[in-house]
Amino acid sequence: MTEFRVPLPADLRARVLAASADARPPGRGLPEVPAIPPAEAFRRAADALADLLAGLQPGQWRRPVLRDLDVQELTGHLIGVERDIQRALAGEVGVADADHVASTQPTALAQAGVPPEVTRTAWRAAVEETLELVAHRVQDRAPVAVHGMRLPVGPLLVVRAFELWTHENDVRRAVGLPQRAPEPPVLQLMTALAVQALPHGMQRAGQGSATLDLHLVLTGAGGGTWDLRLGPDGGTGGSIPEVVIVAEGGAFCRLVANRASPRDVVLQVSGAASAASAVLAGAAALALD
Amino acid sequence: MGSTDALLAARLEAGDDRALAEAIDALGAPVYATALHVLQDASAAQDVVQDVFVDLWCHPGRFDEAHGSLRAYLTVCARHRALDVLRGSARRADRELRYERITLLPGQSSPLDQATAAETAATVHAAVRRLPPDQREAVELAYFGGLSYRDVALVLGVPEGTAKSRVRLALAKLGTLLDRRMLDQG
Repeated sequence: MTEFRVPLPADLRARVLAASADARPPGRGLPEVPAIPPAEAFRRAADALADLLAGLQPGQWRRPVLRDLDVQELTGHLIGVERDIQRALAGEVGVADADHVASTQPTALAQAGVPPEVTRTAWRAAVEETLELVAHRVQDRAPVAVHGMRLPVGPLLVVRAFELWTHENDVRRAVGLPQRAPEPPVLQLMTALAVQALPHGMQRAGQGSATLDLHLVLTGAGGGTWDLRLGPDGGTGGSIPEVVIVAEGGAFCRLVANRASPRDVVLQVSGAASAASAVLAGAAALALD
Repeated sequence: MGSTDALLAARLEAGDDRALAEAIDALGAPVYATALHVLQDASAAQDVVQDVFVDLWCHPGRFDEAHGSLRAYLTVCARHRALDVLRGSARRADRELRYERITLLPGQSSPLDQATAAETAATVHAAVRRLPPDQREAVELAYFGGLSYRDVALVLGVPEGTAKSRVRLALAKLGTLLDRRMLDQG
């Protein structure tokens, strides 16, 4: 095709950008993903893990999977988490700052010698009990205090969906099955929560002292684009460094779950390199394990 | 993620408006040149550039790098769109004339003409009321208010290109809404 070199008229760029924003607001990913409530995300994540566990052979329950736990003990850990969540929902303060791993370790280790089917059934029953308890509280904005987190019920259920998806893939890895991406509506909730929690993660990672502007693009179904100012309010007195990070949404969630390194996740980084490292370290520090 | 084009398309799907700005910076000039070559009209060519990039922004999934580069895709889109504009310009001018006729105040026409014109105008107004509010407002200002695109843009507080595209979208929808027989009468 013949191409003539003519410059773009001066105001056309701004005009096209304005018309585009008018037609489709920036930030929201395509294709549009149907929104689901957090309890539904938790249920779907539980269903996926339940399906996986139901198909395991007896020997696969003994496979080492995470820390010193085998698959059955990891399922026991999840029973312990559900029990702590239920205590927190009941207002018990003892679980507010309990360690996520230490608090559930007795339940994990108690699975030794128990038939896997019993463990699986007990975990599933615990999930159903949690769902029953939250059924009428999903709009409740009061924070639930558990394992160092202070979150309303909705976000707490997304955290739980995040954990179940992470452990589902831990089990998949242990038994030689391919990794599974979250369903787009679940992923959408997970990415939104992870982005929201980034400042907290950066503080946990000791990276919370600098102020920076982040343009974060998470690609794939359930992704989106966010512009955030991270760090202390008031800025640094000088110019605020900006960083652009582009990552695949599912991979970013694996980073947040501490199951992937930034090198495996990031598709593109531009801007201040130190700021990018701080953000990615903060993302990886969000994992509860 | 494979090529730069694929990454750019993925960013567009994620709603990254900076990716769109990058696409315009990199490919706006060849898209404009292509449209200008076909249309020989700078204003119409700019409209085509706007249409092409708005379409890329709203439907980035239509680009498939298996079929060629993003540059090739956009210039082909620009050429097709420009040819559509050429083909449609006579038709559109004719339709706009008919709109003028059916919305003019009755003058020296006969009582039967006046009754017919009133009925037709009512039908048009009913169709206009079914448009999305932003398009309805733009087309009312342009056609019933007699404002230029520039004045429509000023009134609505939007760029002139946005005003134009709203009016164009509105006319296209009206064409669908109105009975073609009614449009063809007179």
